[in-house]
Amino acid sequence: MISMNLPNFFLADLGADAALTPGTITEACATLRRNREHYLQGRSTGGLIRLLCEVAENWLQPDYPLRQRALEEGPATLGFSAPTLARGLDACFRQFTPEQFHALLTQELGHAGRLDGFSATSDEDRQRRASLARGPELLAHIAAGNLPVPALMSLALGLLVRSAQFLKCASGTALLPRLFAHSIYEADAKLGACLEIAEWAGGHELLEEALFAEADCVTATGSDETLAAIERRLPRRARFLGYGHRVSFAYVTAEVLRGAGAQRVAARAAADVAAWNQLGCLSPHVLYVEQGGTPPEQFSELLAQALDALEAVEPRGPLSPAEAAVIASRRSFYEVRAAHSPETLHWASQGSTAWTVIFEADPQFQASCLNRFLYVKLAPSLTQVLRSAELVRGKVSTVGLAAPPERARELAMELARWGVPRICPLGEMQSPPLAWRHDGRPALADLVTWTDWET
Amino acid sequence: MTPTLQTFSARLRDFISRAAPRTERGFNALALELFALQFDANVPYRRFCAARRLAPATVEHWTRIPALPAAAFKEYEVTCLAPTERTRVFHSSGTTQHHPARHFHSGASLEVYEAALLKWFHAQVMPPDSSGRALCLTPAPEQAPHSSLAYMLGAIRNALPPGAVAFAGRLARSGAWEVDTAEADRIVHAAVAAQTPLVVLGTAFGFVHWLDTLAAGGVRHSLPGGSRVMETGGYKGRSRSLPQSELHALITERLGVPAEAIVCEYGMSELSSQAYATVGTTAELRAFHFPPWARAQVISAETGALVDEGETGLLRVLDLANIFSVAAIQTEDLALRRGNGFELLGRAALAEPRGCSLLAVA
Repeated sequence: MISMNLPNFFLADLGADAALTPGTITEACATLRRNREHYLQGRSTGGLIRLLCEVAENWLQPDYPLRQRALEEGPATLGFSAPTLARGLDACFRQFTPEQFHALLTQELGHAGRLDGFSATSDEDRQRRASLARGPELLAHIAAGNLPVPALMSLALGLLVRSAQFLKCASGTALLPRLFAHSIYEADAKLGACLEIAEWAGGHELLEEALFAEADCVTATGSDETLAAIERRLPRRARFLGYGHRVSFAYVTAEVLRGAGAQRVAARAAADVAAWNQLGCLSPHVLYVEQGGTPPEQFSELLAQALDALEAVEPRGPLSPAEAAVIASRRSFYEVRAAHSPETLHWASQGSTAWTVIFEADPQFQASCLNRFLYVKLAPSLTQVLRSAELVRGKVSTVGLAAPPERARELAMELARWGVPRICPLGEMQSPPLAWRHDGRPALADLVTWTDWET
Repeated sequence: MTPTLQTFSARLRDFISRAAPRTERGFNALALELFALQFDANVPYRRFCAARRLAPATVEHWTRIPALPAAAFKEYEVTCLAPTERTRVFHSSGTTQHHPARHFHSGASLEVYEAALLKWFHAQVMPPDSSGRALCLTPAPEQAPHSSLAYMLGAIRNALPPGAVAFAGRLARSGAWEVDTAEADRIVHAAVAAQTPLVVLGTAFGFVHWLDTLAAGGVRHSLPGGSRVMETGGYKGRSRSLPQSELHALITERLGVPAEAIVCEYGMSELSSQAYATVGTTAELRAFHFPPWARAQVISAETGALVDEGETGLLRVLDLANIFSVAAIQTEDLALRRGNGFELLGRAALAEPRGCSLLAVA
């Protein structure tokens, strides 16, 4: 879609049909490197953070034109309803605060000044050492198409480490990264000139080879096969950071389901399911419920009510017939099972596939078909739940936990030992903090190279 | 088995043999009668109807008869037959399924199956008095006793003069089907030499396997005029898969059978009747059509309502020949509504969600 009121600044502005050639990519990369040298390399961390926070603050304003545009065009091009998009964008941009950036820098690099010059922690000072971190000159991102915010995060982190960046979006998914890049361009055109956004169908080898030949570091999000295929094609000099597809689940203890708490827990779980229509790696497929509080069957019903209430204010939006057919077929399957066994129950939106809750006593982990289709399963204990999730061990991203403080630490330890990289309160599964370690890997530290100076 | 189901079978076989025209009232009466019989005799189906709070007394039109999801055949014994009456079981094909669908048959139900399949096959693919021959790329039914397709081709063989139908399929050591390409070539050569029309019947993956071999050897057969091809089913990972139009072009190129002589068949082990579509003809004939004793509907996956002409949804079939199991079946096949028929688009369960998921887990 060619923008009428945005300058054609990025390759993605030329529309999905723009004929890209390897030459275009090579040339764009050369321009990016040049612009980085002139406009980005010498910036201060403080200045970059101020700019990113200012841009994020704009995005949080309801009348910000680029936000309005995202909410107008997003539903048709990305498949999320405007309220779903708005909530997702707000969750992302609220993380862009000076405090969060500062926390990120000290967490990742030990000292907030590492990217500006030689700096030292007090321990290092005593050892008469100082260190400086440098980001890759040209950072390329191959973004997955399922949801838009990870690409925005990647761009922000890339700017922080002073990298020129080329973001390649999957077909039909460039809208938000493009608008975000325009918001940076608006705020600081010279920084905008250090970004390039393009869109093509994954696997276009000639274009990708041109990009890989130029990049110092490549990040990619996608299936394990996609990642392996990309890594095979990278030149030896390029560093590769791959983020594979992950699944997430939630765990609800009996204590939090006593009394009036159950309804609040159900609302938080529903928010996690509705966020990005459950399509992210951080979205729950299954919600495990302990017995002893509100009976799990009854809690499932509360969840169904909460999803129904959310549908009124934050609709899931239309699906393609093929996607709807997957939900309809899965619902049919459980409808038959429920007719035969009291251990299976089901709730579903009337006259649509907007949301589905399947309760099964069997704790076996089950991958959802997503788009707001949630399994609720009995949790005899966390140990038994983890045993029945053995198939996805090492593939879990986040566990949303609803537990009283006196049990939370112990449960978190057990999850950590099993290999879960992120544990968060239920209701916040799709709102990781800026300093979140994606798949348990450092957020910034994986990007940089160090110079140590022993004085 | 209750005598009423048998009485119904006799009447349906009469209906089939006369190929009675599609009168709405006649079809509706038979469908409601069969629904009542199956509601009584088929326990999983009755439980399903009860969960939907539907019973014969409350259903007045065949379109309201609850359609049982085909997936039920995988988990439950969806049958009106007592265990001692079950003389044969057909399994769904596919190599990755832990629990195949099971469709139980008895002598009586197989008689209905044969009557139904032969009548429509003769009308759509190969007339019964044809002097031609047929080549099946599947194993013979004796080698594949749980395949409803092999059984069907066996019934076609038995209805033709001895020797008119040959099977060039066989079982690999893994149990998978493969084509004895040398045998297939030999039969084709004989038909070309005698200038006898040949009807070649097989699965899409069987055709691809054979045609790839022909292409590799640079072989182009030129089957005599009047020859036809019937192609059925998906690929299920057993050969390279290619778009249907490419498969048909390859058939024309390698066998010399023109597009208008290629017929597609839609069938499943859970049904007793088949739908056919003729490639390279009018838009109406290019759509799949069931015989007068079965009806297809395309249902919106989103709302459950019938879709409009030209729209996409899930295929639902009411097959009156499915007397001893269940007549109304909700498939997982995506279809486009075309007049009284449908175009097939694929299997919903295989459609990939666009989010992060590990489908292997399911």
